[in-house]
Amino acid sequence: MFGSNRSTSVFIGLVGVLAAAGHAADRIGLLGDRSPAAIQLLLPLAMVSLSGLLLLGRIEGQRAMVITATHLRRLAGGGALAPAAAPESGVMRGVLGPLNAVLDRCRQEVQEMRNETGQHQIQSRVVAAERRRLEAILQAIPDAVLVINSYDELMLANPVARRLFRLPENGSARCPVDKVISDPRLLEQIHEIRSHSSRPRPRGVEYIARVDGQERTFQAAMQSFEDGGDEVSGVIILLADVTREKEIARMRTEFVSTVSHELRAPLAGIKAYVEMLLEGENNAKTQREFHQIIAGETDRLSRLIDNILNISRIEAGVIKVVKRPVDLTGIVKEVLEVISPQAKSRGLRIVERLAPVFAQVDGDRDMLSQVVTNLLSNAVKYTRDGGRVTISTAVDEARGVACLGVEDTGVGISPEDQKRVFEKFYRVRKDSQMAPGTGLGLSLVKHIVEDVHGGTISLASELGKGSTFSVELPLVR
Amino acid sequence: MSAKRIVVADDEPHIRHVLALKLEKGGFAVHPAADGQEALEICQQEPPDLVITDFQMPMMTGIELCRRLRANPATERLPVILLTARGFDLDEEQTREAQITAIMSKPFSPAEVLQKANEILADVAARRCE
Repeated sequence: MFGSNRSTSVFIGLVGVLAAAGHAADRIGLLGDRSPAAIQLLLPLAMVSLSGLLLLGRIEGQRAMVITATHLRRLAGGGALAPAAAPESGVMRGVLGPLNAVLDRCRQEVQEMRNETGQHQIQSRVVAAERRRLEAILQAIPDAVLVINSYDELMLANPVARRLFRLPENGSARCPVDKVISDPRLLEQIHEIRSHSSRPRPRGVEYIARVDGQERTFQAAMQSFEDGGDEVSGVIILLADVTREKEIARMRTEFVSTVSHELRAPLAGIKAYVEMLLEGENNAKTQREFHQIIAGETDRLSRLIDNILNISRIEAGVIKVVKRPVDLTGIVKEVLEVISPQAKSRGLRIVERLAPVFAQVDGDRDMLSQVVTNLLSNAVKYTRDGGRVTISTAVDEARGVACLGVEDTGVGISPEDQKRVFEKFYRVRKDSQMAPGTGLGLSLVKHIVEDVHGGTISLASELGKGSTFSVELPLVR
Repeated sequence: MSAKRIVVADDEPHIRHVLALKLEKGGFAVHPAADGQEALEICQQEPPDLVITDFQMPMMTGIELCRRLRANPATERLPVILLTARGFDLDEEQTREAQITAIMSKPFSPAEVLQKANEILADVAARRCE
């Protein structure tokens, strides 16, 4: 609002001149020497000062003008001057008439300035509120936001961008963009966007950065914007962290690839043996062997498809879960009826340590039956003939859980494999020859226990000695 | 003349079994191997005329087996048929680098594998005569 120091001094000087003129007029009035010549001398002075003020139009000048106006009024016939000036008042009014008009205009302008100032204050409050709102929006955006002006300077960076590019928290922006961004592809993209400023459109480029010591991938979207209507333009850059999405996409591709491989393996067996039969295998014993292999591979394919579908349904959250209070010990007894004969035929001893009380859990009977089946059949599969499998159930009222334990004296799982046995399709390589498997059984167990029932599963194992799987499920309250 | 020798490497016992049956009927002597490592050992002891290997096996993949064979002067020119259930996922550069003679996808026809084995060995014999 205020100009240079020079115009301020001119203004102060003018105020001084005016004040001096006023005092001079006062003195003339008090001495009784109201000569028109003196007034004629003072008037032009006052006029010059006033016009100077009007020219300057400064807010501070408002007060000075009010002071000046008071003096000039007294000169014109008001205040202490008025009674003594009465004989010459007609002349004075004749001369000072235009001055009154000037004063009125001054007053009007002062009022206008006051109004304008009020409006400016309101406007600046509105602008400040708007700015706060925009800053809040920028801070809330989970993506990094950078704004670059037409001179390739960073104008704005939200907190996410400041962290990503290691910019000082409250540092002034306006630093060259190539001092902030070092990735050449990103810089090239910014320049390309700018050169197509007539057609602003978002563009995508991947940007890889290390955040907290971890490599993360960002997807950059850019949009140019007109910077004051001239040809050059600024650029808004949005960097979204897509690390998780990329990981999910990679896992999905890997899953499809693994599933197709796993499905083709039994299918390859079926196709090969069917072809051998069709080519006319005459030996009845060999024929029977082929039929058995085909039947076995068909079952394997069927189990595989069931497991894949169940896991996918649980992961997608679309599986139909029927939860009602069920007795965990009851389920174990049912499963044992199916598995015990297999185990006994191999000389395995099954030890039952079942809770004498109901272990009531709020669960899906079929799914929990699947959990017990998978754990027990694994124990039987990977325990050598003559070994022992112990199954236990217990109720821990204090912690509000029902416990299921499946312990074997089998081949055991190495610490490296323990970390991965719950992964889809993971099979312990050295044991894969011991028994057929899909590599999905334990993954399914973990999903059912943890995702569907809110329980926990843990594994303790030692190579050559055996493994213990422990499941805890919340009791019905 | 003794029968030509083929090493068949696959971690699926049924696949090894069916290939052995078919190839033996076709007049070959078959040496089965349950993984890449076992196949490599057989090849190093006495190089066969052909190797038929699965791609994905424990211990050592079919590609790695082939790469090891190429690194040994005794087996560097041994023809290799790669059987794969991976479909189109195979890394072309990997297979080119390992100089795989032929790739056949699973599920396969045992008759076609036998035919391919005969073609490759005839080709090798023809080149030897040149």
